[in-house]
Amino acid sequence: MSAVGTGGSTTARRSRRYDRQVTGSPVIDIRALTKRFGSLTAVDSLDLQVAPGEIYGLLGPNGAGKTTTIRTLLGFLNPTGGSVQLLGSNPRHTAVRHRVGYVGGDVVLDRGLKARDLLKWYADLRGGVNPATINSLCEHLALDPTRKIGELSTGNRQKVAIVQALMHEPDVLVLDEPTSGLDPLLQRSVLELIRARRDAGTAVLYSSHFLPEVENLADRVGILRRGVLVREDTMANLREVARQRLELRFAQDVPTDLLTGVDGVSNVEIVDRTAYVLVDGSVAELVKRVAEYDVDRIVSHDEDLEDVFFQYYQDGEDGR
Amino acid sequence: MKTGIVLRQMLRERRRGVLWWSVAIAALTAITAASYPAVKDAGSVFDQLMEQMPEGMLELFGAEGGITSPGGYLNSQLYSNILPILLLVYGIGMAAWSIAGTEREGTLEPLLANPVSRSQVALERFAGTSLLLTVPMAVSTILLIATRSPFELDELGVGELIWVGVGTYLLVLLFVSLTYAVGAATGSRGAAIAVGAGVAAGTYVIFGLSSFVDFFDSVRWLSPWDWFLSNSPLTDEQTWPAFVWPLVVIAVAVPVGTAILARRDLG
Repeated sequence: MSAVGTGGSTTARRSRRYDRQVTGSPVIDIRALTKRFGSLTAVDSLDLQVAPGEIYGLLGPNGAGKTTTIRTLLGFLNPTGGSVQLLGSNPRHTAVRHRVGYVGGDVVLDRGLKARDLLKWYADLRGGVNPATINSLCEHLALDPTRKIGELSTGNRQKVAIVQALMHEPDVLVLDEPTSGLDPLLQRSVLELIRARRDAGTAVLYSSHFLPEVENLADRVGILRRGVLVREDTMANLREVARQRLELRFAQDVPTDLLTGVDGVSNVEIVDRTAYVLVDGSVAELVKRVAEYDVDRIVSHDEDLEDVFFQYYQDGEDGR
Repeated sequence: MKTGIVLRQMLRERRRGVLWWSVAIAALTAITAASYPAVKDAGSVFDQLMEQMPEGMLELFGAEGGITSPGGYLNSQLYSNILPILLLVYGIGMAAWSIAGTEREGTLEPLLANPVSRSQVALERFAGTSLLLTVPMAVSTILLIATRSPFELDELGVGELIWVGVGTYLLVLLFVSLTYAVGAATGSRGAAIAVGAGVAAGTYVIFGLSSFVDFFDSVRWLSPWDWFLSNSPLTDEQTWPAFVWPLVVIAVAVPVGTAILARRDLG
């Protein structure tokens, strides 16, 4: 059971216990989901399951169909084909949504309301939430709930969205790029909260267009491209495919052939005292090779997924 | 899931708005009522002027009953035009906001992620719109009842003033319900306003010009303004169409709009 104090009703507690028993069966269950808007197929025959206590990273470039998938999962869009189920039933059922937390892609909350009043309103709709939980979430994220939402910065507005998604200790969390607009420190605080939910048995679907964000968070990752799930794997396996673009700045001149023949390193370019490289998989070999030189800085250019998985995608394209 | 939470929130958020609308409509009502003694004094001149006008023109101004009697005066200066039009602006704005506006601005979706159904949010907001509209209407009516003696309007009974107030309210609510229904069904705020305001304006023209244009005369029975105004409120006897037909339209439009909203994709 979660370490955070529970304000839930007995019904909520009972349903949580029920979940314990069915641990392993997916609480997010998307089968053969297809969603078309006119002639555009936004999501194509998507299968995706998330089990209790699992964080699933849904990755893909902008426009890949992540948001459409999530909005269908929440019941905002009707599937053109296939089915979506949350906790074993239709997401439109209000009973299901008692146990779901959601942060949408472009968060817009009523600008005229104070954060506190919006949280109170949503808590009332959920039949009451322990105020202590709300307070501790606000504290954790350094959110001042007495301010009007319209006066908050983008990042602070995002915090309100995160608090409302977490305050009722949901059994399912659906998060559409929840840390966009947050600085790295806050991103970390949010990820901590999400991990804590996972550890309490919550199933988490977390979308991002940015691989490094989910690298240390997700248990499994699916890559969505043009509405198709092109790959689904554990993070460990996927890391091997991912390529990173690194920039190594040396304190001294280095031989131009320093980095030739290093395992996994390609596209080497050395200009003055800076080396630009592309690394497939682990950087261990590269680090060994440069060990005897003074490296001032290593800059990692995290690419959008489109670039990170460029090769993979290209293969997929050729296969068509 | 308890009911009334969305409604209560809407009322709380719109307290200040309804206060200002009520102040504005109270001011309009007070100025109109306070001007009556002067109009009455100049009575004969006005009536002579009126007699020279074609009948249709008088109907268009809601002045068939003459404008120097208390009933005729309030019909022509308040109930046939400015009051319903102001209430329409207020009501159509709220109805277009309730679903379509919030859907476009993006606040509807996070709300619906809570355990509350679309229909419930929609119906509670329509109820909120209807309730908020009663406030300025009631303020205006009560003000007239309270000031009719000093302003020499005491020929009019309390019952008559309430009657005409209810009629005005239902006329307005009819167009407001169309706005709500189109917004709920399509998610387009523009379409909602266009239909609500467009039907209000179009049927007003049909009613107003029906005395001049045969075609309009043949379809004037379609116009809610005709239902409400063809028997001039306050001067003629009130008839049931002024009350029943708006209720019929509302009873169809609201469930249809809500049912479509419950099934469609959100924008």
